[in-house]
Amino acid sequence: MLKSHAAISGIGATEFSKKSGRSELRLAAEAVFAALDDAGLAPADVDGMVTFTQDTNQEIAVAREIGAGELTYFSRVDYGGGAACGTVAQAAMAVATGMATTVVCYRAFNERSGRRFGQPDARLGGQPTSQGLEMSWHVPFGLMTPASWVAMFAQRYMHTYGATSEDFGRVAVAMRRHAATNPAAWFHGKPITLEEHQASRWIVEPLHLLDCCQESDGAVALVVTTAERARDLRRSPAVITAAAQGSGTGQMMMTSYYRDDMSGLPEMGVVGRRLWEMSGLSPSDIQTAILYDHFTPFVLAQLEELGFCGHGEAPDYLRDGGIEIDGRLPVNPNGGQLGEAYIHGMNGIAEAVRQIRGTSVNQVPGVRNVLVTAGTGVPTSGLILSTG
Amino acid sequence: MRTLTEDQVEIGSVLPELSIDLTPTVVVSTALATMDFTPVHHDVGIARAQGSKDIFLNILTTMGLVERYVTDWAGPGAVIRRINVKLGVPAYAGDRLSFNGTIVSREAAEFTVEVRGKVSLGDHATGTITLTFPEAS
Amino acid sequence: MTEPAPMTEPAPMTEPAPTTAPAAGPGSALDRELHELADKQVALGEMRGSPSVNPVNEPMIRHWLDAMGDTNPAYLDQGVAPPAMIQVWTMPGLRRDVKERSPVDDMIARLTDTGFTGVVATNCEQTYHRPARLGERLTPATRFSGLVGPKQTALGEGYFATWNVTWYGDGDDPVAEMMFRILKFRPRQRASEKAPEKAPERQEPKQPYPLRPAVNEDTAFFWEGVRKGELRIQRCSDCGELRHPPGPVCPSCRSANRTHIVSSGEGVVYSYVVHHHPPVPGRETPFVVAVVELPEGVRIVGNIVDCPTDAVGIGMSLRATYRAMDDELILPMWAPRET
Repeated sequence: MLKSHAAISGIGATEFSKKSGRSELRLAAEAVFAALDDAGLAPADVDGMVTFTQDTNQEIAVAREIGAGELTYFSRVDYGGGAACGTVAQAAMAVATGMATTVVCYRAFNERSGRRFGQPDARLGGQPTSQGLEMSWHVPFGLMTPASWVAMFAQRYMHTYGATSEDFGRVAVAMRRHAATNPAAWFHGKPITLEEHQASRWIVEPLHLLDCCQESDGAVALVVTTAERARDLRRSPAVITAAAQGSGTGQMMMTSYYRDDMSGLPEMGVVGRRLWEMSGLSPSDIQTAILYDHFTPFVLAQLEELGFCGHGEAPDYLRDGGIEIDGRLPVNPNGGQLGEAYIHGMNGIAEAVRQIRGTSVNQVPGVRNVLVTAGTGVPTSGLILSTG
Repeated sequence: MRTLTEDQVEIGSVLPELSIDLTPTVVVSTALATMDFTPVHHDVGIARAQGSKDIFLNILTTMGLVERYVTDWAGPGAVIRRINVKLGVPAYAGDRLSFNGTIVSREAAEFTVEVRGKVSLGDHATGTITLTFPEAS
Repeated sequence: MTEPAPMTEPAPMTEPAPTTAPAAGPGSALDRELHELADKQVALGEMRGSPSVNPVNEPMIRHWLDAMGDTNPAYLDQGVAPPAMIQVWTMPGLRRDVKERSPVDDMIARLTDTGFTGVVATNCEQTYHRPARLGERLTPATRFSGLVGPKQTALGEGYFATWNVTWYGDGDDPVAEMMFRILKFRPRQRASEKAPEKAPERQEPKQPYPLRPAVNEDTAFFWEGVRKGELRIQRCSDCGELRHPPGPVCPSCRSANRTHIVSSGEGVVYSYVVHHHPPVPGRETPFVVAVVELPEGVRIVGNIVDCPTDAVGIGMSLRATYRAMDDELILPMWAPRET
C-alpha cells in the first residue's frame, strides 16, 4: 500500500500574475529552486521529475536548468488539471518503490499571457485521434470552452436538485473572502458579494463571469521524498496518507454527457472511495479541503461525491458560510483558483501543505488531515495529506 | 429606330450581349411596375430573414427583360409570339444580368431565339422567344 | 409568409418543415392523397376571376417600359401593351383582400401542410395570341393542370405543380396564356450532390466554417448520414445495442460488426447552455448548445436553432434539422417541435 510511505517536504512557487514576462521554462526553474530551498535540498538531490502532459517544459529541460544530474524516474500525467494530485501520486509511488528518492512535481505556464485555455481553439476537434474524435461531437457546435462544458453539467444539476445560480455564487463569495486576506492571491483585498456575483455578466449560461476562475501566469513545484527521509528535512512533512487517480464509466474529457447521470462527477466518486479506503479516514476526519474550483458548480458536486454531504445537498451545505474559513468545512483557505491563482490545481496542493504545517495565512485551527482534489469533469486525482 | 426584316435574320446568328446592372433601384422599380409587392423584391430585411442574400428580381420582370433583350435587337417591327423561360438562380440586387442569344430556328414566319440570362451565381433564366419580323420591303 | 397567389411569383425560399411530416414517397398514403386532390382540382377545370381593376392603360405601360429600360416605341405608337406585361394587368397589387379563389390554392396549401414547405418557380411560358389594347380589361381564368411527383430533387423531395392561366379580352377572346410551374419541396440541407440549378443559397460561396469535425472509419457513417438528412445511430449487428457517440467495438459484446439505424429525428432537451463569451470562430453569440435525449435511448449534442434563447428549457421537444455551414459541411441541429 502506498499509504504514508511518502511525503511532501518542499513547496515553491513564483508570483502569480497576468503577465509573468518570463519564459515558461524559467518559471518552472524558479518554482523548483524555491521548493528545493524550502525542503533544504539541493538540485543534485533530485533524481525524479513528474509533470502534466500539458506542460510545455520537458523534465530534462527543467533538470538542465536547475543543474540536476541524472534522473532515474520521469513521468507525466494526462487529462489537464486532473493531473495535479496525480503528479504527487506518481512521485509517491516512485519514492515508495525505490525508483527515485527525491521527485519534483511541477507545473509552469503563462496561461494568461500565453495560450489561454478559456479561449476557443478550432484545432480541438481537428485530428482523428481518440480525443479529436471525442471533441468532434462537440466542437463543431461551438461547445468548445471549459466554461461551456461545465455549464452543461451545471444546468442539469440545477434542474435535478433545484439548485440556483446563487448556490454557485456562494462558492465564489467564499473563495474571494479567503483570497482577500491572502497576500499571494491575485484578488488579495478584493472580496465580492453574492449580489456582485449575480450581477456579473453571462459567460455561458448558467455560468456568470464570477463562476469562472481567473487565468494566471505562474509556476508551482513540490518536492516528494519518502516519509522517513522527510522527517529529517527542514520542514515538517506533509505525509501522503492517500493518493488516488480515477476515471468513471463512459468517461470523456469535460463532456461526459452520455452516461446515465449528468448531475454528479462519478470520477471524483472513484477518487473519493479510494482515498477513504487507503487512508482509513472518513469525511469527519478532514479539517479543511482543497477542492478544485475552476468553475463553481463542480465544487458542489465534489462535496457530494466525496461524501461531505449527500447528493443534492451541497446547496444547503454551502449556506451560511458552510465552506468559509469559519464554516463546517473550510474549503480552499488560500482563495482557490477563483481567488488566488489558476496554476492547474498545483497551488492548492501547496496550500494543503501549508495547512498541515500550520503556516497558512488563513490557517484553519487543528489541522491533521487535508483532502485535496484535482481537475473536475476530466479523469482526476486526489490526495489526503496528514501531519506526521 | 432600326427594325430587322425577315431577310436580314439568319439562323445561327448571334444577338449582341445586353448587360444590366441590377441596382436596388432596378429591382424595386421593376417589381412595382409589375404590380408585385411581395416584400422579398423590395425589403432587404425580409429577404434576408427568408434566407436570401438580398432582394431579387421577380419573375414578371425576368419575362419583361427577356422580351426587351430580343426587341432591342429586333426593333419595333418585330412581334413577340411566345416566351418560354426556365427559371434558375435568383438575380440579386448588386449582381449583373447578362443576356446572350442565338437565332436557332425558323418555322414559317416564326423565328425562335435561344436566350440565356446569366448572373454571377449561374443561369438566372434560359429559354426561347418566338417572334415574327416584318417582310422585307 | 403566405402562399403566393397563383399568379404571383413564388419566392425561392424555404421554411422549416413541420415536425410531423407524414411519410411521402411514391405510393404512400400521403402520395395517394395528394394525387387524388390534384385530380379533383384538375377536374374543376378553368375558374374565371374578375376582370382587371385597371384597363390596359398608357401610364402603367410607360412606367413598366421605363423600369425595364425598354425604349421600343411600337407599343405606345400602336396603342397596345408589351406582350410580356400580360400578367401585370391582373396582379392583385396591395389589395390582398381581393385575392380570388383558384383551383391552385387548395393544392398548394395541402402540400405546405404536409411538409412540402419549400417553393421555387421552375417554368414560366407565355403565348401571346394578340396584343392587349389600350382601354381593354383583361379577365384571367385559371386551371390546375397537374401534379407530378414525388421526385427526388437537389432541394429535397418534392412535387411539381403546374397551372395555366388564360387572359380573355373584351371580346371574350383569348389574348394570352401562361403555363406556370413550381416545385414544392421538403427542405433539406443539401448533401454533397452537385449544386442544384435552383438552390439559391447553395450557389453563394460561403466562408469555410472553421469548426470541423475529425472523421475516421468509425464515425464516417454518421457524417454521411447527416449529408443525406439522416441522424444515424450506431447499432451493434450482433447484440443490437445502440450507441452514441459511436466507436469501433461494441462495449457490451466485443463485436466489431456495426450497422446503424436512422433515428426518428425527434428529441428532448436533457441539458443546454447559452454561450455568450468568449467569441467562437464561425459563430454569432449568443447561441444554444444542448444535450438532446433521443427516444431511441441515446444522447447527442447539437445546437438549438429557430428558437429564442430564453425559450429553451430542459424537457423541450425538438426535431432534427440540418444546416449547411459552408459548401461542404452540414451539421445536424435541433428546432423546437411545434405542438
